[in-house]
Amino acid sequence: MIVNAARRLNRAAGMIAGSVLIDSAMEHHRGYFHNKLMWTPIATSSLSIAASFHGHTDRRHGAHRVRDVIYALAGVTGIVGTAFHLYNVTKKVGGWSWQNLFYSAPIGAPAAMSLCGLMGFLAERVRDNEPGSKPTIAGVNAGRVVAALTGASLLGTTAEAGLLHFRGAFHNPAMALPVTMPPIAAGLLAVAAVGRARVPRPASRKWLAATAAMGVAGVAFHAYGVSRGMGGWRNWRQNAFAGPPLPAPPAFTGLALAGLAALALLAAYPDE
Amino acid sequence: MREYPETDEVDFAIVGTGAGGGTLAALLAEQGFSVVAFDAGGYFRPLEDFASDETEQNNLYWTDKRVVDGANPIQMGGKNSGKSVGGSTVHYAMVSLRFRPEWFTSRSSLGYGADWPISWQEMWHYYGVAEREINVSGPLTYPWGPKRPRYPYRAHELNTAARLLAKGCEAIGIGWTETPLATLSAPHSGPEGKSPPCVYRGFCRFGCSTNAKRSALTVWIPRALRAGAEIRDLAMVGRIETGPDGRATGVHFHRENAWHFQRARNVVVAGYAIETPRLLLNSASDRFPDGLANSSGLVGKNLMTQSNQAVWGRMDQEVRWYKAPPSLAITEHWNYDDNKDFFGGYCWMGQGPLPNEWASIQTGSRGLWGHALREAMLDYNHMIGVKMVGEMLPDETNRVTLADDLDQYGLRVAKITYRWGENDKALIAHALQQMGRSIEAIGARDMFRQENDTNHLGGTARMGNDRRLSVVDGDCRSWDIRNLWVCDGSVFPTVGGVNPALTIQTIAIRTADRIKHLAAAGEL
Amino acid sequence: MSDRSRYPGYDVLAKRETPSWDEPTRRAIDKRLHVSTAARFLTAAEWAGADALCRRILPQDEEGETVPLAALLDAKLFADHGDGFREADMPYMREAWRAGLAALEAEAKARYDGHSFAAISIDDQDSLIAMMQKGLLSAAHWPGLDAQRFFERRVLVDVPALYYGHPKAWSEIGFGGPASPRGYVRLEGDRRDPWEAAEAVSGQEEAARRLNQHVV
Repeated sequence: MIVNAARRLNRAAGMIAGSVLIDSAMEHHRGYFHNKLMWTPIATSSLSIAASFHGHTDRRHGAHRVRDVIYALAGVTGIVGTAFHLYNVTKKVGGWSWQNLFYSAPIGAPAAMSLCGLMGFLAERVRDNEPGSKPTIAGVNAGRVVAALTGASLLGTTAEAGLLHFRGAFHNPAMALPVTMPPIAAGLLAVAAVGRARVPRPASRKWLAATAAMGVAGVAFHAYGVSRGMGGWRNWRQNAFAGPPLPAPPAFTGLALAGLAALALLAAYPDE
Repeated sequence: MREYPETDEVDFAIVGTGAGGGTLAALLAEQGFSVVAFDAGGYFRPLEDFASDETEQNNLYWTDKRVVDGANPIQMGGKNSGKSVGGSTVHYAMVSLRFRPEWFTSRSSLGYGADWPISWQEMWHYYGVAEREINVSGPLTYPWGPKRPRYPYRAHELNTAARLLAKGCEAIGIGWTETPLATLSAPHSGPEGKSPPCVYRGFCRFGCSTNAKRSALTVWIPRALRAGAEIRDLAMVGRIETGPDGRATGVHFHRENAWHFQRARNVVVAGYAIETPRLLLNSASDRFPDGLANSSGLVGKNLMTQSNQAVWGRMDQEVRWYKAPPSLAITEHWNYDDNKDFFGGYCWMGQGPLPNEWASIQTGSRGLWGHALREAMLDYNHMIGVKMVGEMLPDETNRVTLADDLDQYGLRVAKITYRWGENDKALIAHALQQMGRSIEAIGARDMFRQENDTNHLGGTARMGNDRRLSVVDGDCRSWDIRNLWVCDGSVFPTVGGVNPALTIQTIAIRTADRIKHLAAAGEL
Repeated sequence: MSDRSRYPGYDVLAKRETPSWDEPTRRAIDKRLHVSTAARFLTAAEWAGADALCRRILPQDEEGETVPLAALLDAKLFADHGDGFREADMPYMREAWRAGLAALEAEAKARYDGHSFAAISIDDQDSLIAMMQKGLLSAAHWPGLDAQRFFERRVLVDVPALYYGHPKAWSEIGFGGPASPRGYVRLEGDRRDPWEAAEAVSGQEEAARRLNQHVV
């Protein structure tokens, strides 16, 4: 069970890494990789996908040193990327302004790389518990830790989606989904994180599953959004880059899957 | 499309389908009135008809015969005159600005011009309606004037030309903002169908083939049609007929090589500041020898244009101003700062002239030709420019009269007489100096001025509270003929230092509301 | 002329079948590219004068494609596609051109031994044009027309637009050209979309040429 929970977290990390790989590739291509460091998230997300796949196939207990290093690199990359994007936003005329938040380097995007690293870190920490024990992370019930951190992460992705959907004036009602469903999911995870363990939470599980589905549906919605651009998909060279980012929504799916893993841990193990 | 027989006495015959006529046609039709809206121009379908080409798209402009004179003759055409269904909104740069509140009482508050017969508070309400209906994309906070509701869509991304304007303003210590623009920054669905957002192609002033531009063609005309109005294009109204009781009875229009007559209970003239007075004057009769609605003698007088001077320069960096709408950033500082020794205000905005327009600026302002012209044009992608929209004061000697020349319909053409006043010149001088300082401060070199340009028009059928001093009342209803209305920029007593399109549409929205009340009270 | 190859290898027409051009645009540009070279408005003498004048206003001494300015002017006058208005003491566009060309012809003959404007040297043509621009031509040859204003309001308004309305000129100055349905993604001046012109920075002309040969 411990290993299965860890493998779920590896998969969650891999899903987020996949989203980051394609999203950063497209966006940094749009910027022509004008700063060589823009290749970093390409590298770290690729490594994270590989590490996550490895973790998914790995059925042993114990944290894996190389995977840990890769996930740590991912985490650091996200933080450094955020600093770069912050600089990109504030150096433009108007500085910290709606214009620059809307249209300069997306302020919340690099954080997804760190979230991948975080999920991977949690995967290894969960795995690093003896078989048959009650899994903990830094002495705390592992389920609670994963639930709390995943909930907080969901608020982060909500903020980023919210910023860009606000830029789009919520012109389509479906754009309200990623600013309503994930915060509720985060709330449910917070309740689970501090509430009693070994309590079945079927409604929370269903909501998280729905949020995971929302992330997948987001890709379809974004594809529709690209087609709403002038010239539709035939003008993909413009619309795929200027329109809604296709690879972004699955970050919600990854986090929702991690949330489901947290609920599974909480349902299976009591506190010490 | 519903079509009305000429012998049907329709409720409203509207002459012109632009910012005034198109808006009114939609709102009156939606109120249940029978409406025929005429336009001398053709009904273009942007997706099928608009070419991505400056020369070809000159077909959007009014290029019929006109005569210009005076010490500062106005250059007509693409700067101020459209000829197509949708009027000048088809080719305008979508800048959607509100008047400064004090301008509605220019004379009593600021000591110049004339007061409007509508309060700023009332206009403020209708401005909000207009911005919502047009779906203006604008900044979340606007630096000047009283609070306004949030623009429906967010402001567009600034291109380099706009960012340089912004930097220039900051360098000389004045504010700037993203320009509220009537073009979509996100997809939109409405009576016009599904519109995509702006693709930043930069041909805004030559017709938007994306259908992102929120012109009368995409906003009001589809609503008018849906509500049962008829849009009668390629129909030049040449004369308004009046009956023995002195009221309007309908319009004579030229279509398919013959003259026809449409009966109407009300006639609205919305041909903008040149064609509206021309039509009123051309409709002179025995009873009205000086033209219709002209007991004040003011039809055609107080013509105002707006100064449109610019300062241009070359940057070391590439600017490539052809990408995106030309005026993404703007400063209205000098509309609100009264620390000036002249009346009136001005704003300035970024520019992005396409090759032909840029060549005409090089030749017009610098007199370049030959190798010198070709050499200078090679710097196209490095140029920066800021251009003003400046208030010009009303002067009765600036006017539209009838020339003896006849146009292709056999009608006497408009003669447009204009000269700049001393206040106008002082304002222009101030603006040129300020604009020059701003781009010099950010490193523009080889700067030169465009000293001789004007754009939007107004004033020739002024609205007011006193029938001796105005042509129409605050409801746009002419004093002399109570079923003859004027609903376009001609009614402006003052033009302000902002582009007029939003204000014209706002007046039309208010007029439609007033007509609703008058009809309900049996006063129509 | 010096650096004419600011955008080496860039041809706006290469994008004709890409999403940057649409059908109405192709129709309009094709018509322009196939303008009739037979006079339909100008007489043979007027054509010769107009041709010579256009060659000085927009000289095209270099090799390669030449924009047929006289033919485009003739087509414009034939279709009467002008800005429509006249100043009170000037004729409308078509009459102004006929009168102006005739006056220019009379000036040339008066000053240069009875030679046509088209027959005098380039330097002499330039000199006459400069005088016209400065208002130094004698009114005697310009009945009903002010020479300086003919130059400003007709010559400099109508002729440059014929050149800069042609794809060759767009390629020369690095203009993006027609742009519908596809506009631009990167709105920064110093970042080009792959379908825009690449400027040849000194020392890197080859790199620019390679980019320009692959505008998509």
